[in-house]
Amino acid sequence: MFRRAFCAVAIYCCLAFGIFAQKPASKPENTSLRSTTPKIVQIDELSIIELLKPNKKPLLVNFWATWCIPCREEFPDLVELDKEYKEKIDFITISLDDLAEIDRDVPKFLNEMKATMPAYLLRTNDENAVIGSISKDWQGGLPFTILYSEIGEVIHTRQGKIKPDIVKAKIDRLTARDHRTKKKPPCSTSGPAKVVIPAETNQ
Amino acid sequence: MKRKAILFVALVSLVAFFASANTSTAKEDFAIGESIDNFTMPDPNGKEHSYKDSKGKNGTLIIFLSAQCPVVKQYNDRINEIAENYKEKGINFIGIYSNVTESVEWVKEHSAENYEFLTLIDKDHVFADKLSATRTPEVYYFNAKDILDYHGAIDNDRSGTNITKQFLRTAFNEKLSGQEITQKETKAFGCSIKRNKS
Repeated sequence: MFRRAFCAVAIYCCLAFGIFAQKPASKPENTSLRSTTPKIVQIDELSIIELLKPNKKPLLVNFWATWCIPCREEFPDLVELDKEYKEKIDFITISLDDLAEIDRDVPKFLNEMKATMPAYLLRTNDENAVIGSISKDWQGGLPFTILYSEIGEVIHTRQGKIKPDIVKAKIDRLTARDHRTKKKPPCSTSGPAKVVIPAETNQ
Repeated sequence: MKRKAILFVALVSLVAFFASANTSTAKEDFAIGESIDNFTMPDPNGKEHSYKDSKGKNGTLIIFLSAQCPVVKQYNDRINEIAENYKEKGINFIGIYSNVTESVEWVKEHSAENYEFLTLIDKDHVFADKLSATRTPEVYYFNAKDILDYHGAIDNDRSGTNITKQFLRTAFNEKLSGQEITQKETKAFGCSIKRNKS
């Protein structure tokens, strides 16, 4: 009797363990509803200076806003660029939306776009000064995109929608240069040849 | 035959030269110190207005506006306040709508709802092209002698909550007190003027 009861309890426990152990695995993960958009970080006129310093890689920065129609139109191209050059460059987006949009329209739009690049929202008391400090080529219109080399040279700027082929060509030249300059010959006394890419704007 | 070929090449080169020269001129910005010629444009009701008949005795502010731009919307109260303050001092405001994406009916409604000053419709952004205007709101102050004396932003904070530099008011005040304008150019943050695709 006791033996039978023990067996029944053991079988019940095994079944119960099996069911519970399988439960999480049997439920499909709802990836379609999961946001891949990073949290949008608020920055100001001081923190943006640090943010725009490249970290051993070329840095691509796009200034945009949810209310800016050309910004929205060019975003799929930016997402493609990010996918293609993820390993070679750092790419960040900086929204100039109102602060109230930091957890509303900005993440909503980035999520719709499936944008995974680090995202920031600039809140400054002096837009004029910030625009002027970022580039002389930026007249204040959006979108504005700027490409820095790994040592912070301005390689390309564009006010208005980017032309992806031009940006890609700039990045390709830049990353090829990085590769060449980093690869030192074993017995070289003169060091790697200096390759200069002139800064070009608004092409 | 050879002579004809040489003439043809020379003609093509000449045309190419002038075409490139014209293109580079068109891209140059309208600069501080340049004077503006008289122009005529219709208001949203279709009535024609000339610059000559609309300008103020102490100058004229040309402001590029938009019916859809959120930045213009944020500035509307300030624009009206400044227009009212300086109208008494002889500076007239003229608003210009250049966006190809905004219909006359839309502009008419927007202008009537928001502004007390004269607004004009810049069909096919001809006037915006002339001044190299690219954003809304973007302002151009022409002094009493029709010379561009200030260009750029109204102030340094579109939200209006933390303004520390009143660029436009400062320029007006300096001019009205007989001084030279200290900061003649600033960068106007705003929406891009939507143009026809070329």
